Amino acid sequence: MSDTETETAEKSSEKESAAETVTTAGETDERTRDSWTEYSFSGETSVSVEDLDVYYGDEKAIDSVSMDIPEESVTALIGPSGCGKSTFLRCLNRMNDRIKSARVDGSVQFDGEEIYADGVNLVELRKRVGMVFQKPNPFPKTIRENIAYGPRKHGDINRGLVPRLLGRDDKKKEDEIVERSLKRAALWDEVKDRLDENALGLSGGQQQRLCIARCLAVDPDVILMDEPASALDPIATSKIEDLIEELAEDYTVIVVTHNMQQAARISDQTAVFLTGGKLIEYGETDKIFENPESQRVEDYITGKFG
Amino acid sequence: MTRPYEERLDALRGDVVSMGDLVVERLRDALTALEDKDDELARRVAEGDDEINSLYLKTERECTDLIALQQPVASDLRLVVASFKIITDLERIGDLAVNLADRAADARQPRFSEVDVQEIGAFAASMVEDAVAAYEEGDVATCRGVAESDDVLDTRCEGANRRVVRELMGATADEPTSELVRDASNLLLTVRDLERVGDHAVNVAARTLYMVENDDELLR
Repeated sequence: MSDTETETAEKSSEKESAAETVTTAGETDERTRDSWTEYSFSGETSVSVEDLDVYYGDEKAIDSVSMDIPEESVTALIGPSGCGKSTFLRCLNRMNDRIKSARVDGSVQFDGEEIYADGVNLVELRKRVGMVFQKPNPFPKTIRENIAYGPRKHGDINRGLVPRLLGRDDKKKEDEIVERSLKRAALWDEVKDRLDENALGLSGGQQQRLCIARCLAVDPDVILMDEPASALDPIATSKIEDLIEELAEDYTVIVVTHNMQQAARISDQTAVFLTGGKLIEYGETDKIFENPESQRVEDYITGKFG
Repeated sequence: MTRPYEERLDALRGDVVSMGDLVVERLRDALTALEDKDDELARRVAEGDDEINSLYLKTERECTDLIALQQPVASDLRLVVASFKIITDLERIGDLAVNLADRAADARQPRFSEVDVQEIGAFAASMVEDAVAAYEEGDVATCRGVAESDDVLDTRCEGANRRVVRELMGATADEPTSELVRDASNLLLTVRDLERVGDHAVNVAARTLYMVENDDELLR
């Protein structure tokens, strides 16, 4: 028996009364198995992670995580603080490259292409795999400029330096992108008459939807969200949650959240990370919240954990 | 240290078991009233229904509160949802006990001696008792046992109905028809009520199986 299994078995016997309510004695042992990550879904795979390890210096933050994430759906990553869920999310568009001490081993494929291969264009990767952060972070510019910034930059890169110096001639196209992105992020009606006002004048919830619109403006395939509603009030939160569900019709949305009810409300599948950067259970959200396979996940989501 | 939330879940389980025990007791009292033609006991069973109803409403309220305020998940959620459904079945068994007690007054004439209502009633009551015990203990085997017992109960009820009809057909012409019809219909209704007690016991067992193992086998 490995150390982890011993520890789990001890934990299980401590929680005997809890375990008894959910399973018969014979199955309690089975429920303490190390992990339950087999998850078969019917759609196409968008992101495929294989044996991913992440180290910060000597410390292992992600421990051999493998999971396939289906496209056009919401995947929630939940787990206690420090379990590695945000680190994992940041691996999916190589944001961890920005942290000097971070080292990533293993494979992350996006649409069948290895994103950790040599020569991958990070700007292009982050255009296709966009990210929204916990705290809204609009540029201190107008609402229009916030949205147009990405398309302009990518347009410049695609067209080369000369057209940029000659000035932009696609104002009409830019307006279309601004309107479409703001509509898609359910913000258009609230800001359409003030597009040239500073984005920092918007409320927190509006700023967060602006950041989502900014992300959509460059036409990504995957949207990563790290606690996108944790700094917002309940009404703004519910708007973001509605938006996430709508976005999943066209995009692959992967959300890290501390709020288990939020994960239960908005996601199609849920991945539970527990301490040590291990993925313990991954499956359909209703299965995870109604009848998880793992006793440790059961203990975590019912609040009996640790 | 037990948290208040866990204490509330334990208390909910305790309340459902207490309600179940009370319902079984009332059912047995109703059968005794029927057997002994004890009007006083029958009246107490009828009056006691208010107590069961208020227990039902109190427990239902607690389930709603737990869902609204604590957002239970996994086995906690299944406990609350199963309890929420089980108390409805227990309340219905309470009503059926009152039906039985109501007929105690009319059961003066010994007739249809071949039909053993007491035996059928005791069997149905023990099914309820087993289902409540299975809920309390989270005992899956007993849940399945209750479902199997229901087939036995149904067979006995069918047999009883056939005997009543056979005796009716063989009744002599000099017997007062109205009394005969009254006694026959009372007996048929009693047997039907006991058969329904069994159905509710199976529901309790089925919800318990779902609660313990997330298995909807008996609900189908």
